[in-house]
Amino acid sequence: MKLASYRKKSPWILHYNAGGCNGCDIEILACLSPKYDIERFGMINTGNPKQSDILLVTGPVTKRSRERLVEIYAQIPEPKVVIACGACASTGGVFRGMYNCEGGIDQYIPVDVYVCGCGTRPEQIIDGVVQALAILETKTKELEESVRLNKEALKEESQLNRRNIADEIKPAFI
Amino acid sequence: MYSLITLLFVVPVLISLLLLIVPRSLAKPLVITTALLLSAISVYLFIDTEGVYYFGVPAYVNDIVTVADIILLVFFGWIAIKKRSWIVGLMSLLQLAGLLYLLNSMPAHHSLQFMVDKLSLFMFLLINIISGIIAVYSLRYIDEEHCSSFRKKYFLSTIFWFIAVMNLVVSSDNLEYFFLFFELTTLASFLLIGFRKDEVSVKNSLTALWMNQIGGLAILAAIFFIHHNDYGDATFSNLLANAKAETILLPLALLSIAALIKGAQMPFSKWLLGAMVAPTPVSALLHSSTMVKIAPFIILRLSPALKDTPVANVIIALTGFVFIAAAIGALSQDNFKRILAHSTIALLALMIMMAAVGTPVTIVASLILVLFHGISKSMLFLNAGILEKVFHLKQSSDMDRLGESGPFTALVITIGFMSLLLPPFGAFIGKWMSIESLGALATDKKILGALIMVAVAGGGAVLSLLYFKVMGLLIARTGNEDKIHFEKTGPFYTITTYLLLGLLLVTVVGLPLLLNNYFTPVATQITGTTVALVTEGWTMYLGAVKLPLLPMIIAFLLLPVTMVAAMFVRFKNVDRAKEYMCGEKVNYSFSSFYFSTDRATPYFATAGILFFVALIIVALI
Amino acid sequence: MLLILLAPVIGGLVYGFERIIKARMQRRIGPPLLQPFYDFFKLADKRKMIVHSAHAFLGIMHFVSLWFALGVLLLGGDLILVIFLHLLSTALLILAAYSTRSIFSHLGANRTAISILAYEPVLIIIAVSIFMLTGSFDAAAAFQSEQPLLFKMPLAFIALLLVLPIKLKKSPFDVAEAHQELTGGVELEFSGIFYEAIYTAKWLDYVFCYALVYLFAGNDVLLGAGLIVFTFFYLNALDNSTARVSYKQMLRFSLTVSFSLAFINLLINSLT
Repeated sequence: MKLASYRKKSPWILHYNAGGCNGCDIEILACLSPKYDIERFGMINTGNPKQSDILLVTGPVTKRSRERLVEIYAQIPEPKVVIACGACASTGGVFRGMYNCEGGIDQYIPVDVYVCGCGTRPEQIIDGVVQALAILETKTKELEESVRLNKEALKEESQLNRRNIADEIKPAFI
Repeated sequence: MYSLITLLFVVPVLISLLLLIVPRSLAKPLVITTALLLSAISVYLFIDTEGVYYFGVPAYVNDIVTVADIILLVFFGWIAIKKRSWIVGLMSLLQLAGLLYLLNSMPAHHSLQFMVDKLSLFMFLLINIISGIIAVYSLRYIDEEHCSSFRKKYFLSTIFWFIAVMNLVVSSDNLEYFFLFFELTTLASFLLIGFRKDEVSVKNSLTALWMNQIGGLAILAAIFFIHHNDYGDATFSNLLANAKAETILLPLALLSIAALIKGAQMPFSKWLLGAMVAPTPVSALLHSSTMVKIAPFIILRLSPALKDTPVANVIIALTGFVFIAAAIGALSQDNFKRILAHSTIALLALMIMMAAVGTPVTIVASLILVLFHGISKSMLFLNAGILEKVFHLKQSSDMDRLGESGPFTALVITIGFMSLLLPPFGAFIGKWMSIESLGALATDKKILGALIMVAVAGGGAVLSLLYFKVMGLLIARTGNEDKIHFEKTGPFYTITTYLLLGLLLVTVVGLPLLLNNYFTPVATQITGTTVALVTEGWTMYLGAVKLPLLPMIIAFLLLPVTMVAAMFVRFKNVDRAKEYMCGEKVNYSFSSFYFSTDRATPYFATAGILFFVALIIVALI
Repeated sequence: MLLILLAPVIGGLVYGFERIIKARMQRRIGPPLLQPFYDFFKLADKRKMIVHSAHAFLGIMHFVSLWFALGVLLLGGDLILVIFLHLLSTALLILAAYSTRSIFSHLGANRTAISILAYEPVLIIIAVSIFMLTGSFDAAAAFQSEQPLLFKMPLAFIALLLVLPIKLKKSPFDVAEAHQELTGGVELEFSGIFYEAIYTAKWLDYVFCYALVYLFAGNDVLLGAGLIVFTFFYLNALDNSTARVSYKQMLRFSLTVSFSLAFINLLINSLT
């Protein structure tokens, strides 16, 4: 019984808004509603990184939210996929170049699927998630190297201490 | 035999006098050897004695007792004048007047003054062993108090003559002697509560004094009624012999009132709660393990006479209410010792209730509770003292770092709480049997039985919640360090704690053996009917009560062992991650929840009073 | 005995069915029936991550002790022991939650402790009422009684129905696991296979509660099945249609309404 095949049957979602305008967030929540109903794929919106597999991020990374984004990313156990929802999360969208935004989230965490649209539609989001599930099945349980985490996870005796790996990040822009 | 018993009376007094004179270096070995000696004597006496022993003392001792009585009451009066407390003065005057009247009108004694039966031997065991351990503990504890070196010697000396008085209390038959020793324990309590001499201590010691004096007054009134109705000498044996007489209920009721006061049942619970300002060995010794155990002791002595009388029903109703009320009251307390005090009151209520029901099984339950509660509570109080002296913690809301800075103490306190709570520890079995045997009561007094069962089971649940709340504070740890380093507190503290832990473990593991050889013989002697312990397959039958052994053993493995193991378990090869704080990096320190009952108190009070009145009415029907 | 061993499986099926019914009530399709088992396997495949060992260990022991409590109930053991064991297994979970320094865990633990205060008294009164009717505390006596206990304890059954949402953490009494407020409360810091222990414990809770409901049916299997089906639909309908109340309101409601109902029933039983 290949356990990996069960990853796509029960993906749990964590949704994080990294500073966006809420348009994409509303569309994500619409996915859970009766019209689009992603629960038929077994997806639950957990609020908790420790129990989720898929990180759905909306909004461009602002200076305020970059540390929190990385911290939450670090708390999700492997295997995990990150989906950047919307133009802002992918490249910065309409906010690209603003003094407080830093462009897409791939400056800080590795992204697996980019879903485009400014106000992505629920159909696009579902499509993106389904593609991410295919990627999820191929992932291993090793810690992925995050683009901008400064600290390594400490190896203590026989365990990995990842409590502080998100303490310092290398900012993309000062 | 008699010489050994007399040793138990005389040795502590001698040591107490010696402790006032010898230098500190000699005091330590003296205390340790005395503790060992007293424990050894009581163990030997228990194992080796059958039957009931009566013995008397020469006539001049009678006079000494009378004189001592009067001096004591005059001393109380003097305290009243010195501290300007009119109520203590009033009580002392009433007691003195009553005593003098009785001395005048009482006929001469014909019966022997002391009776030592299995119940007394059982109490000897409890008193001497636990007091010995606590005395050793106080050697170190009192060193760290801020007072003159003479007062430190005075403290140790008071503890020892208190031990002597307790030994005397449980072996007196004559009620006048009993009155003297009862008042002497009140004196000890008064002196020790006021030891620290600050304003709160003095006030609380006076409260303890006058409330216990009411108990003394009740005993005097009981003696008066015995003579008035011509039952012969005022002794316990006589009361039991005349159990079928018509007006015997009045002396019994008065003695029960004395017991209820000594056991700090409501409405007399204020003195025990206030007594927690005393140094911790005092709280451990007087107010949880020994002195307040006089309350169930009296009821146990009188239980053949009390059984199935309206007095017993009122006692059952009252203590049922106290059990659940004290448990709920404890939820809102923050001071650690006060939480322990509330829990003591609740368990005392249960012990008294069991003794008042009077069937062989409930007597066994009461005895089990007395013993195990004594061990567990003294262990908890001793650790409260360690918390106070070594960690400087009094409020339980400050204890949230204890899991890291003092893991050994946290572990011991956890074990202590669990021993009051979980199977198969004795206190749980005691509670268990109380519920089962109340079923027996419920067949003829249905409503009372049903209400009491609900109160006992509900109170048990509330107490569990309380203990888990405090345990939760002790277990909090950051994930930073996974290894546990046990802290070092001095040898006296550690050794006494280990001794009590060892006692607890031995009694738990040996519970079937203890039931057969220890509790049931005592119960048999009290009730006069044989109580037998029968084992069939995986179930133990005690009388008609079933103890399913297999679930209990598995529950033991699951629950207490889990708690202890949780401290030592280490998951290897597993990542350690941070707690979820929505991505924030701040570290929060969080305390436990306080069921602040301020606004709910009038609500509780009315509900409580209604319940209580209903119980009394039902009991008297 | 087989029932005890298969209890997690049965509980999982019940939970899966519940999610489908919930979805249908909301005019959605809902996950497949075996979804809880897919969740199980997926969680087994995650990288293991804990906050510290005591927390994870206590979580696992919560599951084991709840299974044990269920076992004792299904084997017909003493009801007070069963209630006590269930209380203790919840207490293990509470202790696990207290042992981390996470706010949500602590708040969840506090609220779970309060909800214990809300449902424990009613269960105890039900146990005592069963004693008054059958003469013994054993669940076996209730399961085998000739006349279903339901007819003599209707008010107690209603009280049980009012108290089950608190136990199972369903609206309107799910304040202990308020997902939007506390992100799961006590379950927060568990992940991967350790979370699986808590998740499966929830399934066992379903079996436990339905077994309690079955107590009222005595010997009559049809009545028992009917009661269980009724309770199932009642719980889901209640869950879907009510909003969450605060813990004070929950406590007040439970102690005034449910407790009084059960108490009146007890008095009636002891007078007859």
